[in-house]
Amino acid sequence: MTTTEASQEVVLREISDMLRKVLDEQGLDDTEITTETSFHEDLELESIDLVALTGLIAERWGESVNLAEFMAEKEIDEVIALKVGDLVDYVVGSLRANAGS
Amino acid sequence: MADIAIVGMSVLLPGAPDLQSYWRNLVNGTDSITEVPANRWDAGYFEQGGANRADRVYCRRGGFVDEHASVDPARFGIMPNSVAGAEPDQLIAMRVAAAAIADAGGDRRLPARDRVGVILGRGGYLTPGLVRLDQRVRTAEQLVRTLGELVPGLGNGELDRVRAAFTEQLGPEQPESAIGLVPNLAASRVANRLDLRGPAYTVDAACASSLIAVDHAVNELASGRCDTVLAGGVHHCHDITFWSVFSQLRALSASQQIKPFHREADGILIGEGTGVVVLKRLVDAERDGDRVYAVIRGTGVASDGRSASLFNPDPGGQVTAVRKAWQAAGLDPAAEDSIGLLEAHGTATPAGDQAELSTLAEVFGSAGSAVIGSVKSMIGHTMPAAGIASLVKAALAVYHGVLLPTLHCEDPHPGLAATRFRPIDQARPWSEPVRRAGVNAFGFGGINAHVVLEQAPSAKPAPRSITVREPSRVLRFAADTREDLARLLQADDAQLTAAAPVSSGGRWRLGIVDPSPKRLAIARKAVDRGVAWRGRSNVWFSPDPLLARGELAFVFPGLEAEFDPRVEDVAEHFGLPRPQVDGADLGRHGTAVLGVSRLLDRALREIGLAPSSVAGHSIGEWSAMIASRMFTGAAIDQELTAFDPSALEVPGVEFATLGCGVERVREAIADRPELLLSHDNSPNQTIVCGPSAAVAELVAEFRKRAVMSQVLPFRSGFHTPMLKPYLKPFLDLADRLTPDAPEVAVWSATTVSPYPADAQGIRELYVRHLLEPVRFREVVESMHAAGTRVFVQVGPGQLGSLIDDTLRERDHLTVAANSVHRSGIDQLRLVATALWVEGATPAFDRLEAARHPVKLDLGSPLVSVGTRVQVPSGGPSSLEPLTADFPIAAELEALLRETAASAAAVIGTRHQVPALRRLRKSVHVSTATMPYLLDHCFVPQREGWPDEADRRPIVPATTLIRMMVDAAEEAAPGRRAVRVHGVRLLRWLTGAPATEVTIEVVPQDSDRVRVTVGDHSEAVVELAPGFHAPPQALWGADPASEREPELTAREFYDRRIMFHGPGFQGITELTAVGDRHVRGVITAPAAPGALLDNVGQLFGYWIYDTQTAKRVAFPVHIGRIDLYGDEPTAGTPVYCVVRITEVTDTIFEAQAQLSVGGTVWAEITGWQDRRFDSHPDTDPAYRFPERNTLARKQPGGWFAVAERWPDLASRELYLSKYLSSAERAVYDGLPPRSRREWLLGRIAVKDAVRDLLWDNGSGPVFPAEIMVRDDGAGRVWVVGHHGFQLPEVSVSLAHRNELGVSIARLAGTPVSIAIEEVGSGPVHGRQAVISNPADLPARQYVVAWTEGPATSDQEENA
Repeated sequence: MTTTEASQEVVLREISDMLRKVLDEQGLDDTEITTETSFHEDLELESIDLVALTGLIAERWGESVNLAEFMAEKEIDEVIALKVGDLVDYVVGSLRANAGS
Repeated sequence: MADIAIVGMSVLLPGAPDLQSYWRNLVNGTDSITEVPANRWDAGYFEQGGANRADRVYCRRGGFVDEHASVDPARFGIMPNSVAGAEPDQLIAMRVAAAAIADAGGDRRLPARDRVGVILGRGGYLTPGLVRLDQRVRTAEQLVRTLGELVPGLGNGELDRVRAAFTEQLGPEQPESAIGLVPNLAASRVANRLDLRGPAYTVDAACASSLIAVDHAVNELASGRCDTVLAGGVHHCHDITFWSVFSQLRALSASQQIKPFHREADGILIGEGTGVVVLKRLVDAERDGDRVYAVIRGTGVASDGRSASLFNPDPGGQVTAVRKAWQAAGLDPAAEDSIGLLEAHGTATPAGDQAELSTLAEVFGSAGSAVIGSVKSMIGHTMPAAGIASLVKAALAVYHGVLLPTLHCEDPHPGLAATRFRPIDQARPWSEPVRRAGVNAFGFGGINAHVVLEQAPSAKPAPRSITVREPSRVLRFAADTREDLARLLQADDAQLTAAAPVSSGGRWRLGIVDPSPKRLAIARKAVDRGVAWRGRSNVWFSPDPLLARGELAFVFPGLEAEFDPRVEDVAEHFGLPRPQVDGADLGRHGTAVLGVSRLLDRALREIGLAPSSVAGHSIGEWSAMIASRMFTGAAIDQELTAFDPSALEVPGVEFATLGCGVERVREAIADRPELLLSHDNSPNQTIVCGPSAAVAELVAEFRKRAVMSQVLPFRSGFHTPMLKPYLKPFLDLADRLTPDAPEVAVWSATTVSPYPADAQGIRELYVRHLLEPVRFREVVESMHAAGTRVFVQVGPGQLGSLIDDTLRERDHLTVAANSVHRSGIDQLRLVATALWVEGATPAFDRLEAARHPVKLDLGSPLVSVGTRVQVPSGGPSSLEPLTADFPIAAELEALLRETAASAAAVIGTRHQVPALRRLRKSVHVSTATMPYLLDHCFVPQREGWPDEADRRPIVPATTLIRMMVDAAEEAAPGRRAVRVHGVRLLRWLTGAPATEVTIEVVPQDSDRVRVTVGDHSEAVVELAPGFHAPPQALWGADPASEREPELTAREFYDRRIMFHGPGFQGITELTAVGDRHVRGVITAPAAPGALLDNVGQLFGYWIYDTQTAKRVAFPVHIGRIDLYGDEPTAGTPVYCVVRITEVTDTIFEAQAQLSVGGTVWAEITGWQDRRFDSHPDTDPAYRFPERNTLARKQPGGWFAVAERWPDLASRELYLSKYLSSAERAVYDGLPPRSRREWLLGRIAVKDAVRDLLWDNGSGPVFPAEIMVRDDGAGRVWVVGHHGFQLPEVSVSLAHRNELGVSIARLAGTPVSIAIEEVGSGPVHGRQAVISNPADLPARQYVVAWTEGPATSDQEENA
């Protein structure tokens, strides 16, 4: 197992936890969140949920992982098509870039 | 050629009753081919394999629309009973054309009628109506002739009987059936019923008909002769003769599968269908802001000329047609990027596919790649309608950016290799920069057509992934306990989703929209644990329904970055105006937001959801003001029509949304004076406003700090002082609109409190709202604190998430009334479900199609006569053959005939009418024997109020009439009441407490009886052996003299203009109102007398609409009622016109006509309503006593009520709304002279207490729930009545002449109040002078009051 694969897994788990917190589902919805889970279709996230998620991510990884900037570059239909895996990739990429700098 | 836009479409095709389902089927690759239904042709015609006879076919699969073939005749002004006789395809064309117009934005968006054409492709085939005509005219004759020849002894009588038995099976003879003979009627009927006055005709070019129709339409538009043309094709012929032709030609698929471009394609399957597109010049469509599915760039038509065979296609003509179309488009078909999709004719006959592929190879070459398809693989070959099925498919593909699959092409035709085209078996995004498609339709006999489509200039990009919306489904479960609900959910998913929605009682409720296994799992867990679940994953569950103790608010969105409302279907469904949705500039965006909210507000009220308070975000606050009815609908309409959005001038400053709280933003802008805080939206959202450079800088800075930030795509400077120089048009608007006091609280996000009720105060706040920040977060907090628990977002967008962000874990529900995720009606269904779970009782049925479609019979099956002939042994009559030889036989026969005739005469005379008799009977009147009285209660009370007498369940005047009519008929067996004279309504008859009344019938002369019901009512009833023929003349109305009613029928009841409950709410349409008439549709209710009661209600609407004072009116006298038939059964739509004949200060008089399907059922003359004194000030409390007061709050916090009921009868109306039975008994026991002031005191106290409760967060309180007591010595106190929980309240009251005053305070604060005429003596405490209202005697009083322990003067100072 390479380092990247391990952090992918860890990041996915942490992001899943954050999403559950944002969604406030009290553990009632135990369907698995995977890299293929879509923000819009599957999780039905609203813009204010993304704001909350941004806060949690900044809290966890500091400003080096800036979801606000990540989202700002996206067109609306890209946001709609966004999957959890896209975010995981972005976080992993940002962390790696940060470590490398 | 001129570019032509497709702006509307609709279809009825196999498996697809409408455009949405067609699209779903196309994307999903649904195979809609089935076996022939039994009614289309007889199974005996099918012969497996062989069939070498004309009357046998070897194939029995095809595309059929029977299950979806219905029309709503009423919608097109057609009598339902004439549907059976009409040619079905004409009615289908009408339905589809109307749906296409609706899809294009509805009737209102059509240009002048003489600029609209209709051109439909249709063949002259043996359609069902024609076949039935042929059966009646020819087959019946043939049958009896053959039968007569075969069985020589059959008499003419017997043969006539056979003929009759045969034709009877064909239905009644109707001249209309012959009209199928005239093919152009398919188009003419559309033009006639939809009132389109441009050219209307059909074209027949076999399978190319639809595209030739489109070609004609394009020419009509290009030449400027028409501005809109409906084009399409119609084909509904599955007659066995039609199948026989294709069977004889061996063109039907022997494998019974239609597989275009498959290597082993072996023929067609026959389909049927209708499609219509609405076409306009592209420039016009863009000017009008139409939705454009696709643009027709070119059309081409050519014939094969002299070629090999009339039946075998020839590539020469096809090539010419295709090339002509591309030439017209000015495009080179051979260019590599010329085309992305070719919707082929693709009949799946070997010769046809081969010829078409040669054509494609020749015109387009093999360079490039594109998708080829044929919808015939899914629906069969729809013949003259084939071109339109293909065109609609291609236009949808272009519009949505999705390439569509073709079925059954696993092993493609080798000829494809020489072309650039390949079929696909699954839908996929169409991501070329310009989406362009070609559509082929090639007809028998060598007629060819091609159309080039291109995406609209404003087309959206192709989607990343493809999803189609399935029709929304709602599950609702209710139970009395949580355990029962959990038990209901134990069934497996399949059973649960199959369950019919439950809507009956039960406090524990669960709602699921679009159930899936995941959603059901969430629902089960939520119920098991008993935790509230409010909307995530479309599941709603509430262990403690919010509306049981909290209130409902409507919140209206303002301008948001995304604005994509889905309301067309809502407007269509409720018959409300469809708002122009267009975000082109700030003005248009703003009017669209207001229009959409207004429509949804009305729609929500239509389904019985009305708010207790309203609020809005930014300009949504204007929507809230409109919804509170500060302004009349007419005034708003006028302003919106007059408003020129392009003239609106605002500062060019920008807004940015920042994903954080207001404090953080304040800090960041503290040293940037050019930036202003404009909206405090929620803990995580704040908006600032300022010059674009400064805004951009701030956004970049916040983003860097990982705060989600976004510049909004509009500029206005609203809610900042920067708007100040631009205020004039807004102030002018305020000058034109004079507000009334709102009907419900309007929360201001400027002051974070409700709007004032006076015009000046409203205006001041309106101006502040434009210049000061929006404090939305605080307003949400305050509304919650004041008891609001359910927030309905009345519009699309994200406003609800701001509320959720603000309220977080606090108990509440937010739900949006519009969403991009589902159709407008589906989303309303979701709202209704969510609110139902919280204890609301929405009228779910109003969201379902209320129309009554009539099923069309598309078949012309063989007839079974259902009788036998008497095969004669000797002849038709045993005596007849003998008469020639034996005169005695002839005599005997004559004698027998004569005997029979006189026997009939004797029997006939015995049928004489018995004389009228006297009748006297006793009737028990109670809500138990007449449960419908509970829907005719004059006084509203709390749900579950135990004392029915307090509701005043009154026997309606018209029910008394019904009772009198029934009694008269009982006294005259065999006769019917045909006329009722001189109805007098003397005294109300109440159903609680229960009572006995005597009905007495006394004959007057040979055909009249006088009937009385106790001392409550009397009338003379005229009887006859049967009803008289109804008058022919139906009352009309000059359209110029009438207008659209301000209210819908639903609003009329919801706003309690009428007090009637559901059982008496018969008016389903308020059609029009004029200065002296009103007309509407009454759907006959079941309760006795309720139908005529609705005539009185319609009359009541006229009074409401046209009168300003003394609007409360009740019937006292009816001159005459003529009845022409049995009362229409419950559910029958009855058309009613009421004409007003006299208006005086004391009475209204009217006459009315009621008709069913164009036949008069009843006429009424001399209907008199007595007018009661009522005053506009008392109206809210009269209609909604639980939320309004008769007494008015005075500065200093005490209440005064003035007597607005000068006579006893009027007093009775108000008294009954305020006093419970117990108090009523006290009132009755008082000396008459004291009653008046006593009542004023009671009203003042009840209102002071109720207002105090409301100030402290209480929900609605009915006056009867507060019981006022006194010890006879001046001490007054209040207690809760029938279980009402009243906190400790001290009260004092006083009254003088026509004024009552009172004061109430919480928890032991002693209070006193006194009233004296000015100058009549010393009073102590705080003082105020109060005058009578202007309409009462001019008098002034001094009122003195105290509160707090300093004085404890609690004398009743009367």
